[in-house]
Amino acid sequence: MHIAVIGKGGSGKSVMAGTLARVLARRGREVLTLDSDMMPGLALSLGLGPNSAAMLTDAVEKNEQGRWRLRKGIGPVRAIERYSVLAPDGVRHLQCGKLDTEGRPAIMGSINGYYQVIHRLSRSRSFHKWTIIGDLPAGPRQVAYRWAPYADTFVLMVEPSWKSALTARRIMAILNSSPGATVLPVASKVTDAGDLRAIEQMLGQEIVAVIPADRELAIAERAGLAPIDYAPHSPAVRAIEAFADTLEERVEPQRQAA
Amino acid sequence: MKIAVAGKGGAGKTTVSGTLARALGRAGHTVLALDADANPMLGISLGVGPERTEELISVRQALDDGEEEHQPTAEGMVEAFGADAPDGVRLVVVTRIDQYDPG
Repeated sequence: MHIAVIGKGGSGKSVMAGTLARVLARRGREVLTLDSDMMPGLALSLGLGPNSAAMLTDAVEKNEQGRWRLRKGIGPVRAIERYSVLAPDGVRHLQCGKLDTEGRPAIMGSINGYYQVIHRLSRSRSFHKWTIIGDLPAGPRQVAYRWAPYADTFVLMVEPSWKSALTARRIMAILNSSPGATVLPVASKVTDAGDLRAIEQMLGQEIVAVIPADRELAIAERAGLAPIDYAPHSPAVRAIEAFADTLEERVEPQRQAA
Repeated sequence: MKIAVAGKGGAGKTTVSGTLARALGRAGHTVLALDADANPMLGISLGVGPERTEELISVRQALDDGEEEHQPTAEGMVEAFGADAPDGVRLVVVTRIDQYDPG
């Protein structure tokens, strides 16, 4: 199962990615999370502190053309082993470059290293044993620049608003030019049946899961804690657990058959 | 006044920008609303509607496609690429990403 979570800013991508990763890890899967957003949203949703994410800075060097490369002897798997951090339930978490005191050059190396890791990952032997959950930054930009080359399934988060639905439509249009990708639209922050109907109408597409608007989830986010730890029985966490069932029972067998 | 609105996704940047632009337009200011987001949605908050917001072509895209001539002045660009929103606000979309590997 190789998933990327996408959608507009604030649509609940990190909460979905972090909670889904923890749920699947508890079911015995070896889970790797990849956050290509430089702000540490996924780390928080996984239950890591805001400053615990490692940087790939030391894994890269500049080659003769002045381009950043992973250092000799460091392939994508080794880079992940060395530079990922361990989150609760045994989830391995790799963070794209983030702001730090070393300034821009260090960040550029880290971002380039991350980009190479995710692009070389699907050719590694470990790829198929890992369940991968990637969290992409808001909007269509990173989808357009191929920041989820590992993903066969895209979980598209959509809120009941035109901004969110148009963003989702733009992302779907981009993904449709990439053959073989499964797109699963998920309704987020849904308050009532009217919200859900509106999302399906605006999107022109059927929704595969509904994550309700949830005050307990908002309080967990306010406290900077993982929803699955802070509010394990909240409606939103329950809905993500049910979505994990859908992925395991329906989506994964279909993909394997294809 | 020249204002830029920044923040995390979903924080309300577009809603604040669009509503502020309309309020200032009503107060008699000549308002230029610039959407520099790669996922431009300012048209929605200004009230031009989802269809029109999707139709608005970005300056960058139009120039890249060779559909429009470069304009020598900023006024020319606002004139050539802008759209009218309510309360006299002029909207210009700067960037937009619609394809894989836009270069």
